[in-house]
Amino acid sequence: MTLSEIANGKLAPRTGIRLDNISKRYGDHLVIDDVSLNVEPGTVTALIGPSGAGKSTFLRCINLLERPDSGTIQVDHHTIEPGKVINAKDLAALRRTVGMVFQSFNLFPHMSALKNISFPQQKVLGRSKEEADERALQLLERVGLKDKAHQHPGRCSGGQQQRIAIARALALDPSIMLFDEPTSALDPEVGLEVLAVMRELADDGMTMIVVTHEMQFARDVSDTLVVMADCRIIEQGDPRAIMSDPQEDRTRRFLRAVLER
Amino acid sequence: MDAFSAVLQGLPMTIVLTLSAFAIGIVGAVPLAVGLSSPNVVLRLACRLFVDLVRGVPIIVWLFLLKFGIQVGTFKFNPVGAAIVGLGVVSIAYLAEIYRGGLESVPRGQNEAADALGLTRGTTFLRVLVPQAFRIVSPSIATYLTGLLKDSSIASTIIVAEMVFQSQAFARQHPTMEGILPYVLVGILYIVLSLPVAYLSRSLDARMRKAVYA
Repeated sequence: MTLSEIANGKLAPRTGIRLDNISKRYGDHLVIDDVSLNVEPGTVTALIGPSGAGKSTFLRCINLLERPDSGTIQVDHHTIEPGKVINAKDLAALRRTVGMVFQSFNLFPHMSALKNISFPQQKVLGRSKEEADERALQLLERVGLKDKAHQHPGRCSGGQQQRIAIARALALDPSIMLFDEPTSALDPEVGLEVLAVMRELADDGMTMIVVTHEMQFARDVSDTLVVMADCRIIEQGDPRAIMSDPQEDRTRRFLRAVLER
Repeated sequence: MDAFSAVLQGLPMTIVLTLSAFAIGIVGAVPLAVGLSSPNVVLRLACRLFVDLVRGVPIIVWLFLLKFGIQVGTFKFNPVGAAIVGLGVVSIAYLAEIYRGGLESVPRGQNEAADALGLTRGTTFLRVLVPQAFRIVSPSIATYLTGLLKDSSIASTIIVAEMVFQSQAFARQHPTMEGILPYVLVGILYIVLSLPVAYLSRSLDARMRKAVYA
């Protein structure tokens, strides 16, 4: 079985997401300036750009970890306007549709790997403990960590923790996965195990938005490359085309800095 | 009656005062700690004001105010009631501050992960934040409890017959060198009583460390 088949019990319903005119400021400081992005179902979007460009903040706006000041988010027949009052039902639906993986893993340190994956299923989806545990074990096996099921995260390497975190998010049957620099806290070698899992997920047809500095992953795996700088999207399109022939000077400078390192 | 028996007469009251006030504090501090870190400014400031007011005034003053300053209709505090309420309210304030510190020391990413997973605020608080905060604050809580045990002696000033009160009574009847004996004994007794708390705290801490990192 593939990762998303395990995650969903059957093939995932393909869902895209559409963001229009998202803006966000902290006090007087503009961090997202009128950004729009349409992600087609089953595609992988890589979000790159210099630090401070607003990539992570924008990603966190998608599942409302950050509350944009204006704009609309459309996912799965739900339209959310973050500038207005958001009702709890829409927020719950959004969070259920969208899974997220963090740079710092954020596993629950007081729970075993198994419980990290099983506990949210019971609370959010109302699954029985047996069902949730079984699903958790399937996912752990799939990410190559079945033997770590009863270990606490503190006993796992960074790469292992991140794979557990991916399994935890997948266990809730998301149709879209957000990755916020998932390998930035990892040694290059360890990062490869995580990228391999993400690659597999992409091959299964999961809709993914990935903030990353992994240029090879962005080139090989993503369908759309989005370059952000200075709080806005400055360029987007086919990853190979942009990487070989960037249209914007700012993109050229950034790519030269990361590729010629 | 010998000095030791006299001091021991006060032991049950010392234990009752300490455990009652501690129980009030442990429970009552939970909503106050939540209020102290509330995003609602008015609520947060009100809780902050309460904590600073309670902690800013010596316990002995609170006990006198409760014992002699409160009369509602025919209701007046008896000495034990005033001592338990006074020590309890002070415990609420101190423990709330300890809880708040513990909750704030849980990394922000824990909250974000819980949000992203779609856990409710209640579940996040009880199952994610509290277990982690408790491990951080349990030594401070134990330290507070041993402090409270000793502070319960202040109740002797409003005529609560706990250990120090009984020591004083014995000393008054024996105005010789023997009169110093109950104070020596009561001092030793406080130390002996605080030993199991320290021991419990250490073994609890070790067990939780093991649970988290095993």
